[in-house]
Amino acid sequence: MTRYAMAVDLDLCQGCRGCMVACKVENNTVEGNFWMYVFRFEAGTYPDTKITFLPRPCQHCDNAPCVKVCPVGARFKREDGLVLTDADRCIGCRYCELACPYGVNYFNWQKPEKAQYAIVDWRDESIESVTGGLIPPYKNPDLDELWGDEQRRTAGGGHAKGVMEKCTFCVHRVEKGLEPACVDSCPTNALVFGDLDDPDTPMSRYLRENRTWQLLEEAGTRPRVYYVGGTPPTRHQTEIERPKATV
Amino acid sequence: MKVEKSLPQGVGKFTPGWIVFIAVAMVVLIIGVLAYLYEANMGLIVTGMANIGTQGGATWGLYVVMVEYFIGVSLAGIVLVAFAHVFDIKALRAISRLALLLTTCSLMVGLLAVLIDLGTPIRGIINMILYVRPQSPFFGTFTLVAVGVLLSSLMYLYLDGRRDAAYLADIDSGLRWYHRLWAAGYGDTQAEQERHRRTMFWLSILIVPFVIVALSTEGLVFGIQVGRPGWFGALQAPDFIILAAASGLANLIVLTAIVRRVLKDDSTLIGPAVFKWLGGLLLAATAAAVYLQIVELVTMLYATPGNERLLADALLRGPYAWIFWSGLFLVVFGLTLLVTQAARRQWSLGVLIIASVAISTSVVAERYLTVIPSQTHGMMLPYEPGSYFPTWVEFAVVAGMFALGALLIGLFMKVFPIIPLDGKRAEQEVLVDA
Ligand code: SF4
Ligand code: SF4
Repeated sequence: MTRYAMAVDLDLCQGCRGCMVACKVENNTVEGNFWMYVFRFEAGTYPDTKITFLPRPCQHCDNAPCVKVCPVGARFKREDGLVLTDADRCIGCRYCELACPYGVNYFNWQKPEKAQYAIVDWRDESIESVTGGLIPPYKNPDLDELWGDEQRRTAGGGHAKGVMEKCTFCVHRVEKGLEPACVDSCPTNALVFGDLDDPDTPMSRYLRENRTWQLLEEAGTRPRVYYVGGTPPTRHQTEIERPKATV
Repeated sequence: MKVEKSLPQGVGKFTPGWIVFIAVAMVVLIIGVLAYLYEANMGLIVTGMANIGTQGGATWGLYVVMVEYFIGVSLAGIVLVAFAHVFDIKALRAISRLALLLTTCSLMVGLLAVLIDLGTPIRGIINMILYVRPQSPFFGTFTLVAVGVLLSSLMYLYLDGRRDAAYLADIDSGLRWYHRLWAAGYGDTQAEQERHRRTMFWLSILIVPFVIVALSTEGLVFGIQVGRPGWFGALQAPDFIILAAASGLANLIVLTAIVRRVLKDDSTLIGPAVFKWLGGLLLAATAAAVYLQIVELVTMLYATPGNERLLADALLRGPYAWIFWSGLFLVVFGLTLLVTQAARRQWSLGVLIIASVAISTSVVAERYLTVIPSQTHGMMLPYEPGSYFPTWVEFAVVAGMFALGALLIGLFMKVFPIIPLDGKRAEQEVLVDA
């Protein structure tokens, strides 16, 4: 059996937020939604301050409160450990968002097409002559496929108004033997992904060789994301800046 | 000279006052419906809600507050009627139908509010039937509350009214077909009366624990979420029930006073004993609510665990402080009025209404503080605090909910007597010249 997990090495993370961008491009998420989010904390007072980073994907919990509360089974856990949302079944009650202690869920408050980043007017004639009428972002057709034994529409974001979305560990890539986009793009290899049941994967080795901790262990969620190095976040840390986006 | 019967309590007669009332309620309802259609078209983006966490919003807003409020209000009516049946409290008989009507209408409005809040309401109804999961706390809302309590209150209302319907079916009026339908062959014989009495008695005994269990699930929706500071705790369910009782009784008092006023000639049917009972019960429920609130406040002030501290600050001196303290003031004010009246053994209707309005408003505040602050100030990871303020769409839709409730009650009063006729039939007969 496969048991997917992720490791985040906080000693290697340099807070570049490349993973956040990779996730957005890969998953077609709308403006202001960060399935992968990197906290940039500052502790202490100037000049004695310490900057730390904390990437926060969905923890794909083994005892996932979001799965428990979903009234229709749209949020479910697969045998390989991925916690996914069925875009065709979700009724948009947003209970999962509240049950999750990590704040990783993003609801589509409006039609996703309306909520995409609009840095330039893509319908402008001069721009259309170059783009040939294509409106970015490019949407990977894989995101509309049905995946897994369950054959459910679980990959990517920006599907429909009124449904919930969140990190999928890039199910559409994992099914093809690829790594999630964030892991693939990390320049310092701070993110590791793989099968825990195979002792030879880098992921298993990583866990064997390092001391790990988990985020909000007290919530009893049994996450599938393991942190290496650094320290768990506390209330004494404040975020350097708040994500800027209109939602 | 012959004795001819006419429909009692203004049933079937459209007075100017009633028409104005219905017109106003219709206008408010239509505005609410239009606001909702706008929301359905644009998405919930037109509300003040946003995602929790990085977007610093509240993903459950005023609609969920109103779901909790309306479903809460529904508790008191049905339990009161059951209570009156079991203990044979004659004084409460006059308002039994009104109480059941309040339960039914507020429950319908509350359940409608659930649908209004969903991202995909139509799919919501379909998928709740196709894929319902008993493990979700919402299961209680959709089964026990939506089906169980709503059906029992409708059944109760129906059974309770059959005797009157049989009587009304004898009167020649445009509504005769309806009263016949309701009576469904009931002939008011001795045996039927006895069977009816027995059914109502056992129904009442069963209904009280059932309704309390069903409505407790509304508190559990919040209480069993370990990941939400301010929600997680065993007190949520009893808290929900106590506040529900207080808000329900407060609404019932105001409604009874209005009905008494409207009925004019029949106003004597609702005697002072009714208000004495309602006032006393409201006093007990409010006292229990204040007690629970103080226990929570002391715990919060004395030892706030890590993640709850930010939340406690937000409540006591932060952005929610004005709601918290005014809510507390209103409930204590209402309670003081009730206690003074009880001590003087004199219940003035005016004071009772003021106390009821104060208490009911404080329950709305309390529900708001249960639902919202934990989302903006209760994140377990160090996200920046968020904020939430409802938009005009939410206010318009909520006003529409109240209008719908008022409309349902107003319409009912024109097709069926709101006060049970029972032994008072003779009084309803008017003498006309042959
Ligand atoms: S992190 Fe949140 S959304 Fe992800 S599995 Fe755990 S509870 Fe569910
Ligand atoms: S928002 Fe969708 S996925 Fe989340 S609990 Fe509700 S129905 Fe389930």
